[in-house]
Amino acid sequence: MGLDRRGFITFLVGGAVGTLCTPIPWKTLDDVSIWSQNWPWIPKLQYGKRSQVASVCKLCPAGCGLSIHKVGKRPVVAQGNSTHPLSEGGVCPLGSCSVRLLYRPARVKGPLKNNNGKFEPISWDEARRILSEKLSSGKAACISGDENGSASEVLAGFLSLLGSEDFYFMPSDAQVSAYTWSQMGGKGQIGFDLENSDYVLSLGADILSSWGTVVRNQKAFATRKGKYIYAGPVQTGTAAAVDEWVPVYPGQEGVLALGIAYYLLKMGKGATIDGFSEVKNFVLSKYTPAVVEAKTGVKINKIKQLAQELVAAGSPCVIIGSDFGQGSGSFDWTSGILLNLLLGNVNKRGGMVLLPEVKVVESAPSRASLSKNVLGEFLKNVVSGNKKIDVLMVYDANPIYALPQALQVQEAFSKIPFKVGFSTFLDETAVMCDLILPAPHFLERYDDAYTPFGSGKVIYSVAAPVIKPVVNAKSTPDFILEVAKSLKKDLGYKSFEDVLKAKASAVGADFEDLLSGRTKVSNKWVGQNQLRLSVEILANGLVPDTEGTFLAPVARNYLGNTTQALTPTEVVVVRDSELKGRDLYVQVNRTTAKKLGLKQGDKVKLQGAGREFVGRVNITETVMDDTIAVPLGFGHEAWDEYVRGKGDNVFKVLSVVTEKGSGFQVWNKSQVKVVRA
Amino acid sequence: MEHKEFKVKWGMVIDIDKCTGCGACMVACQAENNIAPMQDGSDKTMTLTWMLVYELSNGKPFPDHEIAYLPRPCMQCGKPSCSTVCPVVATTKDEEGGIVSQIYPRCIGCRYCMAACPYHARYFNWYDPKWPKGLDKTLNISASPRPRGVVEKCTFCHHRFMEAKEKARYEGKDPLKLPEDAYIPACAEICPTGAIVFGDLNNPEHKVAKLAKSKYAFRLLERLGTDPQVYYYSKREWVRRLADNYLSTEKTKGE
Amino acid sequence: MAKGKSCLVLPFLFGLVGALIVGWWLFPELLYSKKTQPIRFSHKVHVEDQGMSCDECHSYREDGSFAGIPTTEQCAECHSEVQGDDPAEKKFVEEYVEKGKEVPWLIYQKQPDNVFFSHIAHKGIKCTTCHPDVGHMDTPPVYYEDRISGYSKQTMKMWQCERCHARRGASNACYVCHK
Repeated sequence: MGLDRRGFITFLVGGAVGTLCTPIPWKTLDDVSIWSQNWPWIPKLQYGKRSQVASVCKLCPAGCGLSIHKVGKRPVVAQGNSTHPLSEGGVCPLGSCSVRLLYRPARVKGPLKNNNGKFEPISWDEARRILSEKLSSGKAACISGDENGSASEVLAGFLSLLGSEDFYFMPSDAQVSAYTWSQMGGKGQIGFDLENSDYVLSLGADILSSWGTVVRNQKAFATRKGKYIYAGPVQTGTAAAVDEWVPVYPGQEGVLALGIAYYLLKMGKGATIDGFSEVKNFVLSKYTPAVVEAKTGVKINKIKQLAQELVAAGSPCVIIGSDFGQGSGSFDWTSGILLNLLLGNVNKRGGMVLLPEVKVVESAPSRASLSKNVLGEFLKNVVSGNKKIDVLMVYDANPIYALPQALQVQEAFSKIPFKVGFSTFLDETAVMCDLILPAPHFLERYDDAYTPFGSGKVIYSVAAPVIKPVVNAKSTPDFILEVAKSLKKDLGYKSFEDVLKAKASAVGADFEDLLSGRTKVSNKWVGQNQLRLSVEILANGLVPDTEGTFLAPVARNYLGNTTQALTPTEVVVVRDSELKGRDLYVQVNRTTAKKLGLKQGDKVKLQGAGREFVGRVNITETVMDDTIAVPLGFGHEAWDEYVRGKGDNVFKVLSVVTEKGSGFQVWNKSQVKVVRA
Repeated sequence: MEHKEFKVKWGMVIDIDKCTGCGACMVACQAENNIAPMQDGSDKTMTLTWMLVYELSNGKPFPDHEIAYLPRPCMQCGKPSCSTVCPVVATTKDEEGGIVSQIYPRCIGCRYCMAACPYHARYFNWYDPKWPKGLDKTLNISASPRPRGVVEKCTFCHHRFMEAKEKARYEGKDPLKLPEDAYIPACAEICPTGAIVFGDLNNPEHKVAKLAKSKYAFRLLERLGTDPQVYYYSKREWVRRLADNYLSTEKTKGE
Repeated sequence: MAKGKSCLVLPFLFGLVGALIVGWWLFPELLYSKKTQPIRFSHKVHVEDQGMSCDECHSYREDGSFAGIPTTEQCAECHSEVQGDDPAEKKFVEEYVEKGKEVPWLIYQKQPDNVFFSHIAHKGIKCTTCHPDVGHMDTPPVYYEDRISGYSKQTMKMWQCERCHARRGASNACYVCHK
């Protein structure tokens, strides 16, 4: 029987009917719809057991206790450790990014050697050999950004054994305050007992946004017993939340402090310090309300009111600090300390307290003596040839990016023949080094934080690694101990873990307890001898302003900080009034804009310190008159695509002044010329 | 659409007077819910920010100017505008607890819900998420990764509710009578000033239920009738006034 | 005409039957690829010979989640070294325990990432209602992988979940099972 056309069509119809009665069309349709959702580039979740381990954040000096949520062996999310006194379960946006930073594209993947501008991978053994050789014949120096970790102690101790005193911290309020306090004959580290204060006046220090123990400050604020007042040039996050914002020109907070001191002295307040009567006469004659009003922009009535409220408070606390955490001088701190002394709240509950130092590396100099080493001064001497350095080690710091007078820093770097960058990320400083020796991310290493600056108590926390290094990184202090051994220098410890154990026992804590997230807390204050105060420092506030608009750099943790550039996860937190595409906004109020002839969106150049900064104008009433606010943290040239080329770096136009009487470099009172671009 | 009532009604009270605009809630949310980082974050029409902190201004010139910050999650409206317009039932409000669900594989990306939401709380994946090498290893198992072409939004970290229920079951407790701190979204947990309070609005023992009754408590665009489960709190009259469209002659709620 | 008619019935039937055979027999053969587990794990040896109970490996964690298949680390509590003479065990110890790797087990009931399945919420239901009864098997069953969707043939579909929920009066709200 043959198959004709009709027969064939009937066969197909039969087939079609049959197919409809099979799973073919229905199952295929279902499967294809599922297939359409399974793109290979959409990652699959990796399941496992959930757990939480304690860690300590080292992304800024605030030393918050973290609780790292893990799935299997993978850390996934960072939350606050609710039992840690500095975080109480809270974390700042930067700390919240910490897990994801493990895989930041800019991470240094392994030891690198600079071969005429090209970085080549080398082994750790070779790195140790090269560095040991360089150190055995040359003079060494070190810059560290780790304010409160024992790693800095190891580095400083190692330098001492090499016969060098050139150990420098990155400039910070911690350093200036320590220097100022030791010059006044004081002992211990300055802290502020916010938790027990019923009246907190913050002069400059942006305590709820970026300054000091920022999360702990916020926690203390949330459970406040009384008023919080913030004096600063910009309505920051602190100004938004506190009871009152007192606008004051950038860097003039010290003058305001003396203006308040004037009224306190008039009210008969005094302090038992050497040279008091001279200081009293000086303040009463030079920092009269009219002078202070002109310098600070704060009305006389307001100054008087602040003085009265401080006196009326049971346990007032005056915090002083730079608006952006650095660049303040001994003048600012002396004025702030004087105010606290007049209020009689030093080493008092709720006041300014003095906390003891602990040191376990014998060869390391004390913090107080290290605070006298001024980085800017050192770099100046290197440039001028007064100081000859053969090897510079940089740990956890980015001085090429985060110092004013970047050109001078770069020049100093070029004068030092051999530079080593112990950096977790490929930052502006690392790329200028001859050796890049990756430090592990803090979740990959042992590390500690001893009484972060601003804390009102002694707090020691230690963290063990949460994950094995995801790149070929090696703990810097461990590496230094190896190098020391090969140079036959004995720091007294075999490993960094041993250093931490020694510190734990020095503060009277159980090491295992610390690792599990329990911190050592002590309320011990350091008793003081007779303090002294010289008028010379106090005269610095009277230096007349130069020409131009006041510049107010603004630090916010969601914009990164001086060590860590804006993180990939934080990119979406940046407001569209701060950054648009690649253009950074500078903020001025309507009155200032009118005065300068600027309109919303105008492209402007800020000129200062012989350099230029480019940005666009955003008109906002959050900035006081005659002041231009600029966010810190932009204008990166290294790192990764998440920050590179975005905006401009305000450090470029900060002008540095050497303070009389202390020799400190100060850059919190910069002024710029604003021109249309 | 019928209005469902639930025994448990998860809600938030955000104390604007405590918010410093630090952004920790936003970052915690990104990590908790597997939102991939973006290179350009300033173009807010493209970003995915389930939790977004707005800056509020009292509109006065310096020195009378005041600012405040307003963190904005999904309002989990009692009468949601979004779920009623969804043509494919990818978003509903039907589960105990009153969280508005969003099912990504079901979403067809028409974005009606985004147009309908008066709070701009919904986000569209214009692109496939881009995870830099290795970053996918930090993915949380709680939230499923989304491809491009679907809408997503804050879920009150709903997975934490599921996990809390599991734990309660393991411990032999009633999964619908969770203690106050058993289930907290990531943003509320991380907030350094404790500005975000979370709990059951129907449970008079919970802090949120008490705070929501305060005369300083308010909701956004309350008079639209969406009945949000997110309350705000501010003693500042100008902040409360910004929350709704008032006639010049009208008094602000709470005054 | 009569001849013509009878001619048309036959091709129709041929087509119909052919399609049914293709659809019900050949299509599934082609659709699913057969896979075997990376290690021939014998439940029989563990349950019958060693007398282990199911929950020694498949237990709830303290947070109420279900551990599922044990990790290599857990297996290594006994199998840190080769115990017997089974080549599968030797392979497991050498390739996974010693290298510290996880075994890429094929999960018969693997659900997509957007599903949150709580084992403890289904505690009253027998495991074998959803899972293959492997407890006494010497060789794990063959794993059929759908070539198009990539999922296991045995995976439960949403309608099955919903049907059971409806019958038992459990909620079928989206967020009961989805994330």
